[in-house]
Amino acid sequence: MRFSWSSFLLLILPLTACSPNVSKTATTAQTNIQPLVTGAIPDRDPEKLQRQYGKLAAYLEKELGIPVEYKPVTDYTAAVTAFKVGELDLVWFGGLTGVQARLQVPGAEAIAQRDIDENFHSVFIANKNSGLKLIQNTAELQQLKGHTFTFGSESSTSGRLMPQYFLQQAGVQLTDFKGEPGFSGDHDKTIKLVEAGSYNAGAVNEKVWQERVKNQEVDLNRVQVIWRTPTYYDYHWLIHPQVQQRYGKDFVQKVQNALFKLNPQIIEQKEILDLLAASKFIPTQNSNYTQIEAIGREIGKIK
Amino acid sequence: MIILGFLKRSSLISWRTWGLLFAISFIWSLHIAGISERDLVNQGGWNLVWRFVVAAIHPELSREFLLLTLNASLKTLAYAVCSTFFSILIGLIAGVLSSEVWWSIGNNQTPWLFGRGILAFPRAIHELIWGLFLINIFGLDPLVAILAIAIPFGAITAKVFSEILDETPRQPLLALLNSGASPFSAFVYGLFPQAFPNLLSYSFYRFECSIRSAAVLGIIGAGGLGYQLLLSLQSLRYEQMWTLLGALIILSGSTDFGCTWLRDRWGLPSRLDLNVLNFQQHRKLLQRDSVFISILAAIILFIFSFWYVQADFSKLWQVRSYERLATIIQIALPPNTSQLNQLFTLATRTLAMSILAIASAGFGGIILAFLAARNFVLPQGILSDATKSSQLHLTFLRWGVLLCTRFFLLFIRAVPEPIWALIFLFVLFPGILPGAIALGLHNLGILGRLMAEVVENLDQRPLRSLQAAGATNPQVFLYGVLPSTFPRFFAYILYRWEVCMRATVIVGIVGAGGLGRLLTEQLSSFDYNSLLTTLIVFVILTFIVDLISASVRKTLR
Repeated sequence: MRFSWSSFLLLILPLTACSPNVSKTATTAQTNIQPLVTGAIPDRDPEKLQRQYGKLAAYLEKELGIPVEYKPVTDYTAAVTAFKVGELDLVWFGGLTGVQARLQVPGAEAIAQRDIDENFHSVFIANKNSGLKLIQNTAELQQLKGHTFTFGSESSTSGRLMPQYFLQQAGVQLTDFKGEPGFSGDHDKTIKLVEAGSYNAGAVNEKVWQERVKNQEVDLNRVQVIWRTPTYYDYHWLIHPQVQQRYGKDFVQKVQNALFKLNPQIIEQKEILDLLAASKFIPTQNSNYTQIEAIGREIGKIK
Repeated sequence: MIILGFLKRSSLISWRTWGLLFAISFIWSLHIAGISERDLVNQGGWNLVWRFVVAAIHPELSREFLLLTLNASLKTLAYAVCSTFFSILIGLIAGVLSSEVWWSIGNNQTPWLFGRGILAFPRAIHELIWGLFLINIFGLDPLVAILAIAIPFGAITAKVFSEILDETPRQPLLALLNSGASPFSAFVYGLFPQAFPNLLSYSFYRFECSIRSAAVLGIIGAGGLGYQLLLSLQSLRYEQMWTLLGALIILSGSTDFGCTWLRDRWGLPSRLDLNVLNFQQHRKLLQRDSVFISILAAIILFIFSFWYVQADFSKLWQVRSYERLATIIQIALPPNTSQLNQLFTLATRTLAMSILAIASAGFGGIILAFLAARNFVLPQGILSDATKSSQLHLTFLRWGVLLCTRFFLLFIRAVPEPIWALIFLFVLFPGILPGAIALGLHNLGILGRLMAEVVENLDQRPLRSLQAAGATNPQVFLYGVLPSTFPRFFAYILYRWEVCMRATVIVGIVGAGGLGRLLTEQLSSFDYNSLLTTLIVFVILTFIVDLISASVRKTLR
């Protein structure tokens, strides 16, 4: 009898001790306006993403005068799907995922990119013990044959699509590596896996690489850049057409203005820009991504 | 017809033939896994594994992180409770509708077979795939996770429930029917009460499975422990991982323990009795207060869970959801059949993965089961020598072996398969081997425990009489223990093989090869036509495994 009571108490104690974290959303929804839901592809360390987007949401809330929510998504595909079904209104997509999402939502528009995104690069990194030498031109990618290699996420533009495209142009197929190529999941993991020597080489987003080098989060005695790819268009903000019905015709313009207005001179706003690794946001348009779309179709990531 | 013929003939296949077939398929699987030819081990990854192991000494214990862990644990628990509720609800309704006995009341034979046939589809597809599919309909809502577990588990429960109902003695039901009771009330009063202990025992088992499944679902973003585990692993924060693993072990362990305790206390049949449904179990006297308290606790747990997950159930009857469903079906049809060759290769690889996994889990499980069985290891056990068992240090040693084995089994089954796979991917190249090891470990944990229970429930009388007749310990083991446990062991192994087959998909999703790997590519390319074909191939594969397992079980009886 005593035992059953104590087990009963054990069951309910944790229930009373804790309250769920959903209460936060309940308070923001107090106003009657439906919140603008923002999101991002989880391309880097998810903990850092959580921090940076909280600040951005707060900024947009102030600028646009409507409630703004950040919804974390854990997977590239889920981010595209959520945009498709209208759960996310404004998403920071990579080149490929942006095209995938736009093709599934008629009327969706690429509205802004960072100044660096129109001339984006990937870098190929290699462990110093791998014996891989610096690569001068695309043809020299041949030396990767017979080595182990890892990409980032399957749907990553800078961590998979473009690297695979350049490899193919150099005549290196996915079957030419030692073992099967890995798909690490995100750029940070690719860096860590190559640094640890788990893979000889890997392809990462140049921006993420530079940031990690700047913050001394990479051991440059163990891993080095061996090649920088030609340029391509990458990340951009994609907005769902449903926001016009919800907040008015000129809403897209307002969001664009809010993003372009971010000023690195103002400390708070610089923080947001820094977290996104941008010095400022500039306009972009759907037609900028036709090359990405073509390569996506060629590699089979777009049907 | 062909299938029925196969089943009839297969019951004639002897033990020896099955053994030979197994040996051949095992060697074939090793060959497919490329044991001999390709580079399998990635030497570069050992230091990451080492870092992971070393981190176990100092798990992250900051207050903030512990709070996050508690929240995540509650979330996993709440998901498990909600989805168990729905799976049992689905199981009850669909189970009755697909039972032979229900339709036999109305003298109608065909619908139950039809019902069971339909149930096979949701069953064959893994929770994780359901989850990724349901996001398309309900968006990012906790509802997705609940339904992703409830649909396949509901179908599994329905199958088991209908079998239980069909095998329940029918005399009281017929008596009520003959005395003029309506079919429905005859069913409720004549059949149900007898079947109830078995149904309840199985429901407990489903709850244990739901906990594990809720943890896995976290990996596609449903939140909870699985999600946090994946985050920590992705950012290679091993200290955090160990804290989360600890929480998962506590959650999973206490659920297993609690369910076993209640089952024992209420005199319910042990776990899922796969071969023998025992309706004459001598029931212990039910203690009314323990029943009352448990029901109260269950109600509180339900209310808490539904409040905690905050699922938007209105989405279930919103027109928009059905429109999305219709669109998806429209897009996915017709299935893309242009890549059947590639699919066939991958299907064989997947099959090989499941065979390797279940074979290693089975062998390991048989050995560990005896080390984890109380009546085997502890003093006064079946094979213990009365003169030696009094020595104190030996007693300690025996307890040590028992507890270590049990903890080991708990640990390896509490860690979700994809997490195991990700860890093995540090040192093994992507391919079916890391997947097979991950599945094998997780299933070893489950099988070891199920088998230990078989050993503990052994009928002692034949063994004692062997001993009394002067048999030595090895003889008792060979001629007494093995013959009475092995058929049950193999029944469990075959049952887990079916589960393993479904689970190959989820280790594939994290990059461990087979059809799952292809599914991820197709999902991330939004290629629904090809996705549909892959799923169909997968369902066929699951059917084949079910069929083989059913006919082997027939030989066992």
